[in-house]
Amino acid sequence: MSDALLVSNLALWIAVLVLAAVVVALVRQIGVLHERLQPVGALALASAAQAGSAAPVVAATDLDGRPHTVGGPAADGRDTLLFFLSPSCPVCKALLPVLKTLGEAESRRLRVLLASDGPRGEHQAFASRAGLSLPYLLSTQLGVAYGVGKLPWAVLIDAAGVVRAHGLVNTREHLESLFEAQSLGVASIQEWVQRTRRGAA
Amino acid sequence: MLDPALELVLRGALALLFGSSALHKARDPAAFRAALEGYALLPARLGGVAVLALTSAEALLAATLLAPASLGARAPALLAAVALLGLYAAAIAVNLARGRRDIDCGCAGPRSRQPLSGWLVARNALLAALALACARGVAPRPLVWIDAVTVAGGIVLLAAAWSAAHGLLAHAAALARLPEGT
Repeated sequence: MSDALLVSNLALWIAVLVLAAVVVALVRQIGVLHERLQPVGALALASAAQAGSAAPVVAATDLDGRPHTVGGPAADGRDTLLFFLSPSCPVCKALLPVLKTLGEAESRRLRVLLASDGPRGEHQAFASRAGLSLPYLLSTQLGVAYGVGKLPWAVLIDAAGVVRAHGLVNTREHLESLFEAQSLGVASIQEWVQRTRRGAA
Repeated sequence: MLDPALELVLRGALALLFGSSALHKARDPAAFRAALEGYALLPARLGGVAVLALTSAEALLAATLLAPASLGARAPALLAAVALLGLYAAAIAVNLARGRRDIDCGCAGPRSRQPLSGWLVARNALLAALALACARGVAPRPLVWIDAVTVAGGIVLLAAAWSAAHGLLAHAAALARLPEGT
């Protein structure tokens, strides 16, 4: 009798330990699944505004508290250049003089809006240091709606509220290429280059 | 009075727990310091001292829990373990009450980030109760060879259950972050 109990006890111990190992392995597998499900690196937002499609309409207030609406038909018939920046991005700073000139020289047909998100005080200090007079919008929603993953990012919206061109702008030439793209009727200069290459081939 | 085999299982498992926890903290003190600062209970100046104190307290506990009974250090070590578990539970409970659930628990090493939850408080209460049960002494019974199987199997089983429970808590948090229906 006691031999039988002993054998049964040992057998149960083995069974319990095997089952415990299985449970631990299952939990680890769930962990691996979670890791695989996570996006590797930067998340590319599927909702990014595409050239030729209607620009997402987002209401936002600027640093001075004035309300602005991005997207939708413009009441004054002007195009909108939306420039996403951050105080900690040196390339953005380098482009600010170009944007200022652009905003002043083309003010009759172009509205230039700066956009960012984060703590207001930081942006206010940045704007006053850089002497910015352009409207400076603070809105997380704006960046999400336009699928901004890299900075500085610019979006050109025409007066009818349609995205004409967008992209990562690192230089004055990149910025100008947006307007070039608009006048050529392509989404980006890269697309235009591809099209002309295909045409030539 | 606990059966000596069961007492040995519980004491061994507690020693394993404190030992591995001290090892995690000693390997990556910066991560533990960051977790400690997340709790926002101590002035930043004391962070380094607290990391050192908690790590050495856990290592010392693990060692004294396994020390021979003749040294007479076991019962104080078990009571100290209860106190340390209570301290951790209080720190978690304070932050839960503050509504700061999203800080890292710092429980199972830097590799498993895990938010705070009421489960952790309950877990510590259970561990403290087990340590108290051990501190009440053992029934006199000679240990035979089958007890070795019970003790070894019991400790392995508790370690596995511990790791699985922690994994499930971490996964529950990861699951909550995932969007629904994808």
